[in-house]
Amino acid sequence: MSDAVRDFLVWFIKCNVIYGGLLGTAAGMTLAERKVSAWMQYRHGPNRVGPWGLLQPIADGIKFIFKESLTPDGANKWLFRCAPALAAIPAMLTVAVIPFGPAIPFIPGEHKFFSVTDLDIGLMYLLSIGGLSIYGVILGGWASNSKFSLLGGLRASAQMISYELTLILSILAVVALSGSISLREIVETQSGSILSWNVFHQPLAFVLFSIAAFAETNRHPFDFAECEPELVSGFHTEYSSMRFAMFALGEYCAMVVMASLWTTLFLGGYKVPFWDDAPWFLCVAAFLVKTSLFLFLYLWVRWTLPRFRFDQLMALGWKVFLPLSLANLFLTGAAVSFGVDLPW
Amino acid sequence: MVIVRRKELSLREKLYLPEIARGLSITFRKLFEKKITRQYPEEPLPKNEVTRGQPRLVVKDDGNIACVSCGMCEIACPAYAITIDGGETDRAIEREPVRFEIDMLRCILCGFCEEACPKDAIFMSDELELADYSRAALIYDLDKLKRPKAALQKRIDYVYRLNNRWRKSSSTR
Repeated sequence: MSDAVRDFLVWFIKCNVIYGGLLGTAAGMTLAERKVSAWMQYRHGPNRVGPWGLLQPIADGIKFIFKESLTPDGANKWLFRCAPALAAIPAMLTVAVIPFGPAIPFIPGEHKFFSVTDLDIGLMYLLSIGGLSIYGVILGGWASNSKFSLLGGLRASAQMISYELTLILSILAVVALSGSISLREIVETQSGSILSWNVFHQPLAFVLFSIAAFAETNRHPFDFAECEPELVSGFHTEYSSMRFAMFALGEYCAMVVMASLWTTLFLGGYKVPFWDDAPWFLCVAAFLVKTSLFLFLYLWVRWTLPRFRFDQLMALGWKVFLPLSLANLFLTGAAVSFGVDLPW
Repeated sequence: MVIVRRKELSLREKLYLPEIARGLSITFRKLFEKKITRQYPEEPLPKNEVTRGQPRLVVKDDGNIACVSCGMCEIACPAYAITIDGGETDRAIEREPVRFEIDMLRCILCGFCEEACPKDAIFMSDELELADYSRAALIYDLDKLKRPKAALQKRIDYVYRLNNRWRKSSSTR
């Protein structure tokens, strides 16, 4: 077996594992969402399909596939069909650069790291591809020929543009601190004790990123793209069957990726605290635990807080978060360039 | 006119994040509290003699039904759910139903048949579950309506208790 074939096989298997894991987690999140919401309201949640309702996502998937896919009158048919794919694909692409674990010792060749690819400009790739997912939302909203969908799409795009600024500026502070935009190198700078995690070096950026992550993935309390009481169901009002499921899948994949990014940037990624040379599977486990913390936070916040008003969201984004993240970036930049350790 | 004054927010409340944390802690505690949903088919509904379920016909201890097909319940029924065809019998009561049908899709579980019956032959049981695959199967005939007296005894006693109270108060006139 030549090296090229071997490398391809390694890469192929890794792709399958990581994408299978991503889609499986996204499916599991649909169940987790219903379970957590139920538990918070003294209910049991889905518990009929399989033990503890574990097979519910499969039942939902089968149902979605067999439902009729309606296209409304006057819809732009081509865009209407494209939009769900456009919403789902960027979220799935972004997971390619997330480092899930360190180099795996028994894998030979160049693909030894536990990520689809180990890109030098991983963070830029992730942010630019992730920014594309808004096209699916706004095109879906526009192509549906429905006022509710259009309003939902408009709100989503306005919100995403506003909060992407905060998101990127808070990430930039981390980048300034670690001096690299490769996600793997950002993780490597956080090795050692728990205190070397970026959350303790950049607490403000951490809070800003966490809030902007909610807005970026259109999650409660910022889910104005859907906003049931005003917009029926926002940009996907007119969608049914698997096309609707694609939007949901995209949303949940984006959540998983955002949680992974949160872990990577602020919680030391796959590093096991106080144990730098931990075996690779423990590192992966550490990554998964940290990521599921944030995934749980997504659900937890959704079932706790009421939705904002849209003008409040915009005011918050532009008048509070943007100046704060700019100031944070300025301070961090100054501290780094003058070689001063930040007081916190 | 009502003037609603907005509550002045303290700095802590204006910062919003501490209040979010407080809300989150409340919902987190709720995660582990006792669930109040009844898992219905496994955990049946609570029942007692006051439960007014579907009407059933009493089978006396000698094995004959108490009904004499007088038709009082048929007339009392506001939903026209009961159909009775009477026939002769060699027993001392001389009459018994050859057909006694209750259309359970029409029955509204009002209990008028129980009140109308002069022979203590029909009582509301605690049977509440009503599901089948066809309309025809939900028209209950004699076989489906018969219940031994022992099974309905609690309800019978309860009805007597109610009626006795009613009789006492009216007899004082």
